[in-house]
Amino acid sequence: MKTLFFITFAVYAVSVILEFTGTAFKKDKLLRAAWLVFIAAAVVHTGFLVARGVAAKRLPLSNQFEFSNAFAWGVALFTVAVCTRMKTEWLKVIAMPAALLIMTYAALQPMEIRDLMPALRSAWFGVHIGSAVLSYAAFVIAGCIGARYLMVARQEKPDKKALEQMDFLSYRLVSFGFLFLTVVILSGAIWAEQAWSAFWTWDPKEVWALITWIIYAVYLHLRLRAGRKGTRMAWYLVIAVFVVFFTFAGVNTLLHGLHTYG
Amino acid sequence: MKKVLSYLRSMRFGILLLSLVALCSVVGSLIPQQHEAVWYVQNYEKLHALILTLGLNNIYESWYFILILCLLALNLTLCSVLRVRRLGRSRENEISAAAAMPDQVRLSGQGVEQLRQRLQTMRCRRSDVGQSEVYTKNGFGRYGSFLTHLSILLTLLIGAAALYLPTVTDRTAMPGEAVVMDDGTEIRVFDFSIADESGRLDFTSEIQITLPDGRRSERKPIRVNYPMSFGPYKVYQQTYGTAGSLTVVNPENGGADDFTLTDTVFLSLDGVSGLWYQAVYPDYLMDPSGNVTLITSTMGRYENPVYEVIVARGGTFESVLAFPGDEIEAGGLVFRFNAPVEYPGLRIKHTPTLVNAALLAVFALMVAALYITFFCDPVLVKLDAQGYAVGGSKPERMRVELASALAEFEEKEREDTP
Ligand code: HEM
Repeated sequence: MKTLFFITFAVYAVSVILEFTGTAFKKDKLLRAAWLVFIAAAVVHTGFLVARGVAAKRLPLSNQFEFSNAFAWGVALFTVAVCTRMKTEWLKVIAMPAALLIMTYAALQPMEIRDLMPALRSAWFGVHIGSAVLSYAAFVIAGCIGARYLMVARQEKPDKKALEQMDFLSYRLVSFGFLFLTVVILSGAIWAEQAWSAFWTWDPKEVWALITWIIYAVYLHLRLRAGRKGTRMAWYLVIAVFVVFFTFAGVNTLLHGLHTYG
Repeated sequence: MKKVLSYLRSMRFGILLLSLVALCSVVGSLIPQQHEAVWYVQNYEKLHALILTLGLNNIYESWYFILILCLLALNLTLCSVLRVRRLGRSRENEISAAAAMPDQVRLSGQGVEQLRQRLQTMRCRRSDVGQSEVYTKNGFGRYGSFLTHLSILLTLLIGAAALYLPTVTDRTAMPGEAVVMDDGTEIRVFDFSIADESGRLDFTSEIQITLPDGRRSERKPIRVNYPMSFGPYKVYQQTYGTAGSLTVVNPENGGADDFTLTDTVFLSLDGVSGLWYQAVYPDYLMDPSGNVTLITSTMGRYENPVYEVIVARGGTFESVLAFPGDEIEAGGLVFRFNAPVEYPGLRIKHTPTLVNAALLAVFALMVAALYITFFCDPVLVKLDAQGYAVGGSKPERMRVELASALAEFEEKEREDTP
């Protein structure tokens, strides 16, 4: 099982190296190869997730390793979906390393398969954590687009059309991520009431999910109502991703609460 | 006054309040909450005065945090009220703006009829404005942000009710016994068991709830994540404990009583001689010379239980360790030690009826409202005798759909013409 994970990791790494080399030397062939290798990595990764799920006899989303692994998979999936559908070549150079970065974090976590502890055995497990994977992945891709926007906007003659597309796409991803983060928080509240008798206990993980929710709610208001676009909103998305990472990894390692599971 | 009101319902104020909630939450997650004051004095050398003065040790219940939440509710209420008034008007405005769009595609009379039929099969809502017909698809998309705000407002209000109205009590009951609540509701525990899965204990109690009006629930097991709801009660498997079990026999009359003990108690006939029950321990270590060391950690199961008792005989006291199966005689009674009994700690929550259901309904509304806000943009099609135009924030899909409907129609025409 570990071998399959490291094979996945290596394939992602190869795709990122090819992407960087292709970009640096402006070699289209290398870039095309990088993309195919990345898709292959995403496919192998799907295989790993399934294999892990079968071996553990449950959804492979329970501890920090499994969650970050699924998170990286979500980022890869979004990258493939967005780049294929929207023809966003500009996204690859930043989204592909993002997936690899999260895989690296996963690789540093203890990997052994453990039985689900009784507190996690619930129908809400899949809804709650599955939505978190989708939501965080969407926010990360939105942040990648924000970063790319800043890079393009700094050029002497920026491609206005591409900037427009980036702006719109990042907003769409934030709306998607926001919807799913809402599902995460609400399903978490329902689950908490089933398990601990209170919908909300101000546990650090809950609190940081709420902070993340607020950060993106403010983004949506600025976008939807005030019509803010451009560089400032791109910066906003990039900074917001750090909050997502803190909610996902920082809370478990730095703060203590009820969510500290195996 | 008008200015104040318009600020109170403004998005700017909403964003300010949301940012304050976020800020308080950051502080609340960095400073451990609800410890004793002395804990902060010990752990925050320089900052404890500030923490305690500003109530940062219990920030989520501080007056200013509650005030921020109340203002948030006010902001959402005012914004929603304003929106209700605007919603009707905005629909009319959009429709008359759509009616004024110049035709983007010219059509023949037959084409107009075809398109009309197509729009009707697409379940678009028709409004007639002068000579034009305006068809609206996803018209409910207009209500998305209103419904989102409404659902958040209701979540705040009902959520507060769900947080503060329930009463929660933690009680224990020995298997076979019942907990009786103040209103007469009886929660009977039939059985309690612990499944040990490689060190992770899973507790199950089999219980039944009987309400004061005589209604009785099924007899069902409860476990973590699977509480039992009945009437206004919800019963959770919360913790467990282990009690000592003694059978006391009176050889004179042959009577025997079983005792399940969790606290220190003196068992005696005359009040002078007998047995002081102290505690039962989960395990012990015995060295080769027979000295016993008690293990007090109560995590997990009682593998080698040992009882600690004090035997009183006519004014003398002797501390004794006893094991299941042992018997001790004192004060004319025989004390027989049994295997300890495990019993559940139940959490019993009483919630006013409907609060939970209302909260779940509002959660569902919030998810639906967000979906509508983000993914259901209204599209308007103006159709008149000469042609049509498509408007709305995302007209592309409708444009493609109508164009392909017309192409299909033309194709069919051509096939039908000999
Ligand atoms: C606690 C959370 C929220 C607060 C306090 C809040 C507050 C507000 C306020 C005061 C306005 C201005 C109202 C007006 O002028 O009509 C507004 C506008 C808006 N809000 Fe929110 N809001 C919240 C959450 C959300 C969420 C989660 C969304 C999701 C998308 C959202 C979407 C919008 C939109 C689209 C507008 C523009 C309204 C329009 O012009 O139709 N709001 N918000």
